[in-house]
Order: sequence, then C-alpha cells, then structure tokens
Amino acid sequence: MDDGTRQVNGERGLVLRISDLCKSYVMGEVTVDALRHVSLDFFHGELAVLLGASGSGKSTLLNIVGGLDVPSSGKLFFHGKEITAATEAELTDYRRRSIGFVFQFYNLISSLTALENVQLVTEISEKPMPAEEALALVGLGNRLNHFPAQLSGGEQQRVAIARAVAKRPELLLCDEPTGALDFQTGKLVLEALEKVNREIGTTTLVITHNVSIAGMADRVIHLSSGEVTEDLRNASRLSPSELVW
Amino acid sequence: MLRRKLFRDLMHLKGQMLAVAAVVACGISVFVSMSSVRYSLEASRQQYYSRYRFADVFMQVKRAPEFYRESVGGIPGVASVTTRVIADVTLDVPGLDEPATGRIVSIPEYRGMAGLNDVFIRKGRYIEAGKSDEVIASKPFMEANGLVPGDRVGAVINGRKKELVIVGMGLSPEYIYEVQPGSFFPDNRRFGIFWMGRRSLESALDMSGSFNDLSLALTHGTSEKDILMQLDHLFRPYGSLGAYGRSEQLSDRFISDEIKQVGMQITILPSIFLGVAVFLLNIVLRRIVTTQRDQIAVLKAMGYSNEDIGFHYLGFAMVPTTVGSVIGTSLGAWLGRGLMNIYGDFYNFAELVYYFRIEDVALSVLLSFIAALFGAWSAFRKAVEMPPAEAMRPDTPVTYRPGIFQRESIRKKIPVPIRIIVRNLERRPLKAALTVIMIALSVAILVAGRYTYDVTDRMMLVEFSEKHREDVTIVFRDPMPFSVRYNIASLDGVLEHEYYREEPVRISFGHRSRRQSIKGVESAEGLQRLVDKDNRQVVLPTGGIVLTKTLADILGARPGDMLNVDFQQGRQLRRQVMLAGTIDEMLGLSAYMNLRDLDRLAGDGGALNAAYLRIDSSKAGGLYSKFKEMPGISGIMMLKALRKSFDELIAKSMNTSTVILTSFACILAFSVVYNGARISLSERARELTSLRVLGLSTREVSIILLGEQALLTGIAIPLGFLFGIGLSVLLSLALSSELYRMPLVFSAYNFIFAFVVIIIVATVSGLAVRRRLVRLDLVAVLKTRE
Repeated sequence: MDDGTRQVNGERGLVLRISDLCKSYVMGEVTVDALRHVSLDFFHGELAVLLGASGSGKSTLLNIVGGLDVPSSGKLFFHGKEITAATEAELTDYRRRSIGFVFQFYNLISSLTALENVQLVTEISEKPMPAEEALALVGLGNRLNHFPAQLSGGEQQRVAIARAVAKRPELLLCDEPTGALDFQTGKLVLEALEKVNREIGTTTLVITHNVSIAGMADRVIHLSSGEVTEDLRNASRLSPSELVW
Repeated sequence: MLRRKLFRDLMHLKGQMLAVAAVVACGISVFVSMSSVRYSLEASRQQYYSRYRFADVFMQVKRAPEFYRESVGGIPGVASVTTRVIADVTLDVPGLDEPATGRIVSIPEYRGMAGLNDVFIRKGRYIEAGKSDEVIASKPFMEANGLVPGDRVGAVINGRKKELVIVGMGLSPEYIYEVQPGSFFPDNRRFGIFWMGRRSLESALDMSGSFNDLSLALTHGTSEKDILMQLDHLFRPYGSLGAYGRSEQLSDRFISDEIKQVGMQITILPSIFLGVAVFLLNIVLRRIVTTQRDQIAVLKAMGYSNEDIGFHYLGFAMVPTTVGSVIGTSLGAWLGRGLMNIYGDFYNFAELVYYFRIEDVALSVLLSFIAALFGAWSAFRKAVEMPPAEAMRPDTPVTYRPGIFQRESIRKKIPVPIRIIVRNLERRPLKAALTVIMIALSVAILVAGRYTYDVTDRMMLVEFSEKHREDVTIVFRDPMPFSVRYNIASLDGVLEHEYYREEPVRISFGHRSRRQSIKGVESAEGLQRLVDKDNRQVVLPTGGIVLTKTLADILGARPGDMLNVDFQQGRQLRRQVMLAGTIDEMLGLSAYMNLRDLDRLAGDGGALNAAYLRIDSSKAGGLYSKFKEMPGISGIMMLKALRKSFDELIAKSMNTSTVILTSFACILAFSVVYNGARISLSERARELTSLRVLGLSTREVSIILLGEQALLTGIAIPLGFLFGIGLSVLLSLALSSELYRMPLVFSAYNFIFAFVVIIIVATVSGLAVRRRLVRLDLVAVLKTRE
C-alpha cells in the first residue's frame, strides 16, 4: 500500500478527489438530477459510510467512482489521475487494479466454487493475496470448495468480499452489502469489512440506508436529492458487534 | 392485450426469431421446390407421353417383313403398332470439323398418318411427301450446331452420300434424354436425331417392305411380360434384339431415375431443417418462459386462464414458423422454377411446365405447424403448469458440481474461464449434445453437398481418362471381319487401334434373366481398361465373363456360377459361360469377355463391331474428312468432346445446387450458434456483467460467453464430418440405380471447405452476439435480482 501513502496534490494520503460532480438522467421528457455539484475527498485507510434514502444519488455516486458510469459534468481524480477522462479500456484497467466491488446481491459466479470465485480475480491481478488467505480473512477458510448454491446469503456475501479484497484494491466499494441479509448475518459481513479495512488499510466506501451502520465508520456522509447534506467524522469507531438495529 | 405483448416481445427477440424463421424457410423451400419439381417432371412427362403417343413396348430387329405389323396388331392386348426403319449414319455438319453421328428415324410421309412416338414440331414444318431429302432434326442438335430450318447436312446413308435438307426442328418423347447409343453423356453437337419420310429412308437403306424397329401401345391391364415373350418368339428368326418395356427404354430410364432422385430429396433435407427448427424453438421458448415467470404469475393472478397463457406462448412458435413457411414457400416456388429450367438443359420435353400446387403449400404449412407445436410443447407445458405463487419466486438457483475438475491437480492447471465454460456445459449435457448435433448437421450438409462434386470428379477421371484412353471410337455399320484392322491401320494418323465386338444376348441365371450385350475386348489393358468406381483396375480373366456387380446382383449370380447366354443374332446359340468375376462400375450395366472367348462362344468365325483409335492430332483433320465419307461407319464418338460437353452441362447444375446447399447450411449453422450464444447471454448477463465490474475486459468476458459456442463448434466439426460421410452414404444408396452408382469419395478440399465455412459462420454469429455483450448496461444489470 505504499502507493496510497504517497503525497498527492500536496495532501497526505489523498486517494480519491470528487470535484463538482453532476449527473442527470433524461427520462423521456423529464430530466432527473441524480447528483448535484458533489465534491468530496477520500483518504487512505478511511472507512466511510454514505447514507441516504433511495433516490438520494448514493448508488449513482458509487457507480461513477467505480468507473461503471460517467458523470454529466465535474471531475473525478484517483491518485491525481482524471478518471472522468479515461477510455473504456482504461476504465477496465482501473476496475481491475484499484477497485473492489461488493454488491447487494453478491453477484457470484454460480458455476465456480468459493475459492474459484476469488481466483477469478487473483488470476488477473498483479500482486494478489492467495485466494485461500482472502477467504480465511472473511472467516470462510473451511468453505473453499462450496458452490454459491451451497452457501448461505451471509457466506455468499463474505465470498464476495474476499473476492473484492483479494486483489488488494485501494478502494473497496460496497453497495448495500447487508441489504439482502438478516441482522445477525449482516453483522458477520460488516465484521469482515471492518477487518479488511483495519488489517489491509483499504479505503472503504459503504452505501446503506441503514443509519445504525454509520457507527462503525470513520466518516459519515449524508446524501439527499443528489446533494451532500452532511459530512461528519465519528470521534471513535464502534466495532460491528456493538451495532444494533 | 396479450397479442400486443406477443408482438412487442417478438420484436424484442427478433434476431432469434428470424433465425428460427430462416431455418424453417430453408426446410420448407427445399420441400416445396423438390416436391413441385417432382410433380412437374412427372406431369410434363405424362402429358408429353400421352400427347405424342409414346409406346409401351419396343423392339429392334435386323429386318422383318412389313406384313408382321398385322400379326402383331392381332395379339390380344395390343392397342396399336408402329413399324419403323431406323439407321445410324455418319454426318458432315457445316461448321464442324469432326464427323457427327445421326440416328435417322422413319416417319410417315403424311402427318395425319403419324402413329406411336410422334414428333413435336418446334419450328419449321413437317416433311413433304415425295421430297426424299427432307428431314426434321432434333432441337438439341440444331441448337448446339446453330442450325435453322433450311440448312443442309451431309450424310452417308448405306454407303451413299446424301444431302439432307432440314425443314423442321422437332422433339420426340422417345429422346427426352438424347444420347448416342453406348454413351451416358449427351454431346448434342455430335449426335442428333433426324426424322425422314419412311419411303425415302426405306429406299436409301434398301429396306422396302421391311422394318427394323417395332413400337407397341398396349391396352390397359395387359401383361407387358406376356407380350414381350410373344414378340421375342415371333421375331426370333428376324434377328430380334429382344423386346422391352418402357423401364428399359434408355431415355425413360434416365427421367425415371431423375424423378426418383428428386423424390429422395423431398424427405432428407427438410427433415433435418425442421428438426433443427424444433430444437431452436424449444430452447428459445423455454428461455422466454423462464425469464417471464414473474409476468406469467402476474397474468395468472389477474385472472388470465392457463389456456390464454399457453396459447400466448404458443404464439412465440407460431409466428416465426408461419413467417418461415411463407418465405420458404415463395422461395421454394422460385427455386422450383429455376430447377425446372436446369432440367430443361438435360431433358428435352416438348413442354416442360412448372406446376406449383396448392397441395404442396398446404402440406408445407401443415409441416411447419407441426414443427411449431413440437418446438413449443415443453415451454407451453411449463407456462401452463406453473402455479402463480411459484411463478412469482425466482427460478431455483442452479447447483453446479466440480465435474471433471474434481481433482485438485487437474483443476489447478485449468484457467477459471475454461472451468466456467466446461461446468456450464456439464450442467446441461443434453442441451450441449443437441447443439453439437445441430451444428454437426450443418457441417454434414456442406460435406454431402460437395460430395457430389467429388463423385463427378471421380467419374470424369474414371470414364474419361482411366477407363478410356482412346481419342475416337468408330462404330461399324455391320460386323466386320478381322481383316478390317489392316484398312484402319493404313489410315494416315492412326497411332494405336484396338477393336471390340458387341454381341446382343440374353443372360440368365436360374429364373432371372436380362437383355444385355457382351463386349468382347482384345485387351483390358490397352486403350480401354476395366476400372471400377474406386478407380482400381480389374483384370479380365480368360475363359469367363465379367459382369458389372449390379448386373450380377440382379441375376443373383456369384463368381463361379455358370450363366446361360442366349445369342440373339447369327446362329442364335444357347451357351454357358462361367461368371469369372464382377466389377463395381459407376455407370450402366456391362458384360465383358475376351474377344477370342466371345468369338468361340458365339460359334462363328469372329466379328468386330467397333474400334478405339488413338490418333495423331496434327493429322486429325484429314482423318475426320475420311471418316465422314466412309460408308461402313455408323457412329463416331470423340472422347474429349464428350467430356467437354458433359463438363459444361454438369457444371451449371452442380454449381447451382452447391450454392443453394451451402447457403442453407450456413443459415442452419448461423441460427444454431447465434441462438445458443444469445440464450447463454440472456441466462448469464448478470454473471458476465459482474465479471466486467470485477475488472475483466470485454475480451475476457467474450471468451467465457463465446468460448462455450466455440468449444461446441469445435466438437461439432469432426462429428459433422462423420455425419457428412453418413449422409453421403445415404445419398449414394438412395441415388444409385442401374444407370449410376456413386462411389464413396471425399476430397480433402471438401472437408476444408466445410471447415472454413463453419468457422466463418460461427465467427460471424459470435460477433453478432458479442456486440450485444459490449452494449450490456453494467449498472442496470447489477440492480436486478437474479
């Protein structure tokens, strides 16, 4: 992670700079503004939670950050490089080297075992951790050869986390990672995320509409109607086991 | 409202639906074209035969008195009798260096007296009584030589040179396939039929009051066999060559074979295409029902009945098959008309009418309807039987197994994308197997399509260079003594000469018998050799007879058996000869003996009927002029010219059929590969998008999606080669007849061609699907639940 600690734009540990980002969708005759003039900086090792109601623009922001979508205006810099100006191939490369994704519905490859799902990513990464190690990190060291259909939802989501972190990404983007899970299982998943963030130092952005999760973050950002309405730092991070909802 | 949904859904799936429609269209068009062509050929022949009174029974004799016409007419069952005088003569055609051969057939001086085997006048007029030099010439000959009524042709009739004036262009049901006796291939420049007044021809041939050809029409229900026996008996003293029915009449035989062959094609190809259509509909519709299970649930919850929903999904099958059968029917009509034109080049009908029948249309609609039902059946059941509550829930997740990667050691060596591909195939082995079979069938059609090319090449090789190496064959008007060779040898330009005797006999074994001529050859290793369909040379043993394998089979005889041989001419001896061997030849039925053995068997001093000559090409002109004047020659054949004319004729029809078959096979392969990839894409869009999000490039994701199709295609190609060989075997069995046997011969080019075509087609269909893969909306797909 030496890249992440180097000087960027004169500020120590700046990983991601979001500058005056706007995104509007034209839906028939109506134009919907999903993001309005959003500017945010994220630093190395930060665990940030983005809160907001559905339609607040948080997923749109995450998709743009992850290189899945392009903004209507504004810029996005990753380690000083402008992602908003990248070509399709550069975006693929950006996702491949620097970004880890965790989705609400896991999106595992059903024809591959847990281990193979992780290997899918490690095979195309430059300095990955061993797939077994990534799975051990999320507490699935004993379920390596199970297929997704043989795993519970929480286990599947932890495989997804292992898959996301195995390539040692600089940025881990999680879209409602507990959205499809019950309370207990959700906690296990959050613990895995917290552990990865703590042990590897990956900058982590978690999208949720579950306010309780905010307690485990360094930083809590509120989004409403496409605008950042609050950007607060927690004095201390709670362990996921202490969370209640 | 459901109809509107059906329409929009179909528009959404138009690529896949068009692929299904295209396969149905191919099948239906082959069905419609072949079945209408068969009917048209049959009907045209039937009309031609009845309008121009084609005879039922034929017989050639050496010379019989005219009064026998009365006695034959008195035989119960004989409706009418026509006697004729027929002679083969050498012709001198303006504009043609080489001599040609004409068959002169007598006709009544007055049109009103025309009997059986009447002549259809295409251009010009009928001959005028009393004008002994007037003739009608056959259309193919006139057209090939650019002759028009009023032109003159020189002929040597009975040793006398005569100038013939062509007054009309004619055609006859007797010569729909116009080939020189002893040949299988038409050479219209050098062989033609001429019709001449009976009296003029009689006097030219010194045949007054006699005839040498007899045609009979029988009354309905008469036993042909009885009549043949009576004729044979009656005309035995007059050098009869044996009476025969239409089934042995050369021209009719060729057309009957052709009609039979067309009939075979009505079933084979359409079955393959409609079978593939059923398969495609099955996989496409099942996928539609799976992806629309929530919609089915909502519709059922709203109160739509199972029937409403079932028929709605049946509509997904009916629309493309209906579109396919409409296109196929029109295409079939167009192809049928085109094919009839090609047949018009081979067969000379007075009127070759293309009949497009409502029955064929009805049957094709019915067939495609059945295909739609079969194809839609399992999806229909699935949609009907799905309880609304279950339909609301997502489809149960699929369970995979480690499969062939059970062992860690194997697994480690295989890259993950390959594991994904293989596991997907393993999970649905039946679907994978069917896909392979469907692609293999397209390969098979390509191979079988080009197989006929290879057969023709082999036939050209065997018939025109291996078996025959002479330049010219001259047929003597009358049997010649041994000494004729000195005359021939003295001709300037003759390099090699070899002779044969051709003796008409009836060969029998047990209760089976056959009219046949035995060819007595001086040597089987000289200018003419015995070569079988696999291009192997066969030796001719002394003392026995060698028969074409098909002929031996017809007689039920095997090597070592003693055959009875009844000579039809000369002393008309009945002799016995041992079947020394068989030869599996491509064309016709033959019997071969050593010349000396045949002379001995015939019990005469020996005779020669024809000579094979190899000539010095620089002296050909002089030789040809001599042949044109020689009184003793009744026929001349030029091997090279024959080959050229056959080449031209066959090339046109072969190219057409190969283009059609190749395009149909391409459509088939494209539809199967494209649909397979489209369905995989729909089933796995989420998975593939996830991979894209994880950082796999479009190329890597395409490999996973298209790799599956590529692997299936890869397996299908060698299997398709085997299927293709199988289909060719089927074709060769179905199409072989007494006239023609197809050897199993496959050139490397055939397989390379099929390979390249399939690879191109698979690549194109893969690229078409890849375009969709690239356009997948990454965000939208991730938002949806599985």
